[in-house]
Amino acid sequence: MEDSFFKLDRLVMQFGGLTAVSQFSMELQPGELVGLIGPNGAGKTTVFNMIAGFLIPTSGRVIWQGEDVTPLPAQAITARGIARTFQNIRLFTDMSVLENVMVSLHHRIRAHFWQAMFGLPAYRREEQRIREQAMNTLQELGLAHLSEEKAGSLAYGQQRRLEIARALATQPRLLLLDEPAAGMNPQETRELAQLVRELRSRYELTVFLIEHDMKFVMGLCERMKVLDYGVTIAEGTPREMQSHPEVIKAYLGEPKHA
Amino acid sequence: MKVQATFMDRKNWKRLFSLAGVVLLFGVLYLFDRYGSLYQVRILNNMAIFIILAVSYNLVNGICGQLHLGPNAFITIGAYTSALLSMSPAEKQMSFMIEPLIWPFTVLQAPFLVSLLAGGVVATIFAFLISFPVFRVRGDYLAIVTLGFGEVIRVLCNALQGLTNGPMGLKGLLPYTNLWWSWGVAVFTVFVTTSLVNSSYGRAMKAIREDEIAAKAMGVDPFRQLLLAFLVSAFFSGVAGGLLAHLITTISPTLFTFFLTFNLLIIIVVGGLGSTTGAVIGAMLFTWGGEALRVVESPLHLGFVTIPGVPGMRMVLFSVILMVVIIFARNGIMGRREFSWDGLAGMMRLGRRG
Repeated sequence: MEDSFFKLDRLVMQFGGLTAVSQFSMELQPGELVGLIGPNGAGKTTVFNMIAGFLIPTSGRVIWQGEDVTPLPAQAITARGIARTFQNIRLFTDMSVLENVMVSLHHRIRAHFWQAMFGLPAYRREEQRIREQAMNTLQELGLAHLSEEKAGSLAYGQQRRLEIARALATQPRLLLLDEPAAGMNPQETRELAQLVRELRSRYELTVFLIEHDMKFVMGLCERMKVLDYGVTIAEGTPREMQSHPEVIKAYLGEPKHA
Repeated sequence: MKVQATFMDRKNWKRLFSLAGVVLLFGVLYLFDRYGSLYQVRILNNMAIFIILAVSYNLVNGICGQLHLGPNAFITIGAYTSALLSMSPAEKQMSFMIEPLIWPFTVLQAPFLVSLLAGGVVATIFAFLISFPVFRVRGDYLAIVTLGFGEVIRVLCNALQGLTNGPMGLKGLLPYTNLWWSWGVAVFTVFVTTSLVNSSYGRAMKAIREDEIAAKAMGVDPFRQLLLAFLVSAFFSGVAGGLLAHLITTISPTLFTFFLTFNLLIIIVVGGLGSTTGAVIGAMLFTWGGEALRVVESPLHLGFVTIPGVPGMRMVLFSVILMVVIIFARNGIMGRREFSWDGLAGMMRLGRRG
């Protein structure tokens, strides 16, 4: 059991008397693309926060590559290869696009701070490497021409892309996308789905994403889980979910009988 | 290949310009040292010390975005440490009349440079100890903890008579601080701080300022980055404290109240929070302006009306300036921009065209 790639074992999150997520279990295989859907307030982001180290679950465990990472803080989770984006975009708005991505490479830096303070060659070489790597990531996401712009001045769709670029730059094996298509138009959504597919195969990523846009998830994910009021109500392939009575009920409400 | 070469060329040019700037600065200082009045030299010394203080204070407040209100604590620690080390044993025995000085300091005496470094190191050690409670909290709470620490150090200076000579303070320090010491340390501080801010470490600090949650998600450990900034800041504050002590030659707890912190806060806010250039400009304006504004404290004759001089009027004016800046020009003089040779060249080109 402990040698699984990624496993959530009966996660429970309680805030006071409210159970936001109850008994959430799942397992991911390397290279999978899995979706998590559910109505507003179903507890999807809470699940992400527990995985990414922003919330410590009331009970249950997060197993990552055989290690119990449940109590680790967010920065330690990222260092182990799980990166995330945020539903409400959280860029470093006053920094340039390039700098935003370069921050993601800081945790791998080897040079000491005093080498940076005196601008020694050991540091300068690393700075050069970080800059090139960040530039490569921007190129792959088609943001290279904006590298010197302030992140806060980008258009909405570009900001979403930059969020993904920043997460990718931490060199993750598991990528958590929190509503990546939120607020995008159909054209942008299609491009995003294409991008996620490409990135997954190029970087051998495993992708776990939360989404509201049913069409987006249906077209993209191989497998999905449906959450409502913190409880898993269904799981399976997108086709199965489309006709699942519980899912329809959660999204559309109970049919009224006269 | 050619592009690469011109790029390197430009970098070297800029370095040459910066070097020329420093040489020019020391040339001007030499002239003041030789031909300037004592009063002018005194202002220039103050200017350099406030540059060190403002630049290091800005590292925590401007770059990391944490409202730290206790730099006066580290200045005090640096000043007392370096004073106790640089004074001669005989001088110390004379000063400590009420309670004798405790042991190792009665016999210790060190050269000025060593005493300055010791001031910085001891301030850094205190900063390390206090950092654990300080960085458990953020925002207003962090401000209160650091403010409290500053007060604790001041009260301790009054109370620990065997170490600090209490309210009587330390007298008879030799005036080691001259233009070369103060400006030498100032240039060094600006160079080191700028390199740090422009490095990957500085980017991580700014990321914490912009959005701490996102910074953590990108693998930045906020405690480690804030600790680094805090310790570097405390070290230079301590060294500046030592320079200040050997400039005034008499130190007492009343010198290092919250008022000092407040002045530094004015400097970095007016200069532009988060800009090292702004901190330097703010410090220069403050020390020069502080002297120029002495006019308002002397009696003013307006024909038949005479306004009596009010001591402390300068401080009222400073507070008004701070309020005006915060209300009407929140970004200060520089905002978060920095001086660069490219920027200067751009401005000159614009000037020529206009």
